[in-house]
Amino acid sequence: MRLRTFNYFFREAFISFARNRWMSLASIGAVASALVIFGSFLLLSVNFDHILKDVESQVEITAYLEDAADGSSIARLNAEISSISGVKQIRFVSKEAALEEFKQQVGKELLEGIDNPLPNSFRIKVENPQEVARVAGEVQKLQGIEEVKYGKGVVEKLFNIIYWVRVLGLAVMAVFAAVSIFIISNTIRLTVFARRREINIMKYIGATDWFVRWPFLLEGMMLGFIGSSVAVGILAGGYSYLYNVVKLNVPMISLIPAKEFYDYALGFLAIGMSLGAFGSSFSIRRFLHV
Amino acid sequence: MIETYGVTKIYPGGLVALKDINIKISKGEFVFIVGPSGAGKSTFIKLLFREELPTKGQIFFNGKNITRMKSREVPFLRRRIGIVFQDFRLLPEKTVYENVAFAMEVTEASSREIKKRVPYVLEKVGLADKAGAKPSELSGGEQQRVALARALVNNPDVLVADEPTGNLDPDTSWEIMKLLNEINKRGTTVVVATHARELVDGMRKRVLQLDKGALVRDEERGVYSNEA
Repeated sequence: MRLRTFNYFFREAFISFARNRWMSLASIGAVASALVIFGSFLLLSVNFDHILKDVESQVEITAYLEDAADGSSIARLNAEISSISGVKQIRFVSKEAALEEFKQQVGKELLEGIDNPLPNSFRIKVENPQEVARVAGEVQKLQGIEEVKYGKGVVEKLFNIIYWVRVLGLAVMAVFAAVSIFIISNTIRLTVFARRREINIMKYIGATDWFVRWPFLLEGMMLGFIGSSVAVGILAGGYSYLYNVVKLNVPMISLIPAKEFYDYALGFLAIGMSLGAFGSSFSIRRFLHV
Repeated sequence: MIETYGVTKIYPGGLVALKDINIKISKGEFVFIVGPSGAGKSTFIKLLFREELPTKGQIFFNGKNITRMKSREVPFLRRRIGIVFQDFRLLPEKTVYENVAFAMEVTEASSREIKKRVPYVLEKVGLADKAGAKPSELSGGEQQRVALARALVNNPDVLVADEPTGNLDPDTSWEIMKLLNEINKRGTTVVVATHARELVDGMRKRVLQLDKGALVRDEERGVYSNEA
């Protein structure tokens, strides 16, 4: 294709863009909202993933020992727990150490003069967070273990939330993508209608079908591109703001820094342009009989 | 250069527009197609540039069977045929120059060729001084000259005109006819569908007369009607 022809296509695309200002803005708005919503869900889900990993790495099993357990049974249990598959690390916490820890958490004065009620325990870390439940069950069966505790439910709940965030995100994205395609295809239909005379003349003077189609396709892609740029801008601004707010106010939650999402921006532009191309090819096929 | 063999056109709904038309038009000829409205003149023209396909029969253009042509080849056929309509069909927001240049842009000609060729063609149709005007600022005759320039700018083998003077007064019509004659003298085959009796009688060219879709007369140096 000659550069000159390409210039012509772009010029034509811009002319109809200006002519259908309001429909063009509606198309851009539709693409932008679709991608902002999709992007929000994406950011939410990626961050949940990230937080979950954080939480998972903190999930420990605490196995409380029977009071009767003496030094030799402690050594035996230590060996037995270590031999369970999936156990990464095991640490013995004596009654006294546990009390010290507790004192630090609640304050020394409160516990002054009380007999130590805390049992000896093992703190167990596992290789894979998803195996916490199984390892805990095996530890429970061992002789001399009074009780086993772990962050039961927390892990499962988070997994569940992430799953639903993703499903919901994709569903909402699909709806908005369909709306974008519909609005873009309507915009292009208006353009085709406004230019039917010109199209007719082009055909008589020997324009190829693709020569007639290109400006419309470009117009659609341009609408998609602008829409996705707007979405990227909104998401980048919004997320950076949120990131800073969370970092200042809720320091224990660690979000992924905004700059790690830069690669996604290109993907978003590509999605926006595809939506545009798809919307316009829809109208081209239906209303442009070339 | 144009040959038709047993061409019949029946529109959906059963209207028979053309019946068994066998015509041979040679390179360099000037041919009038005459007949009353509904005789099939416009259908014949539409078949030539493949706006329509015949129901039966074959049409050859420069030895190529255009009834069997793939649709993606059609644009290249039309670049060999300059087409002029009764209603001019110019783009109102483009200038005279741009309207003519547009026909070259469509064929992806280079800027250099366009800049050279468009003024040349505008000069030939006598509109060199109107290049910057919009069609709405021109008279009907001038607009039809622009259409002629556009049809000629790609140097077609044949110029096809469907009622080119239908919207013009008699004097202007004569000017357009003289222009068509000049174009023909420079070697372009010209086919004109018309029911302008005075023009046909005054030109004394080959006349193909259609009546109710049938070819009823093919006469060299003919007049509009023998009966009159």
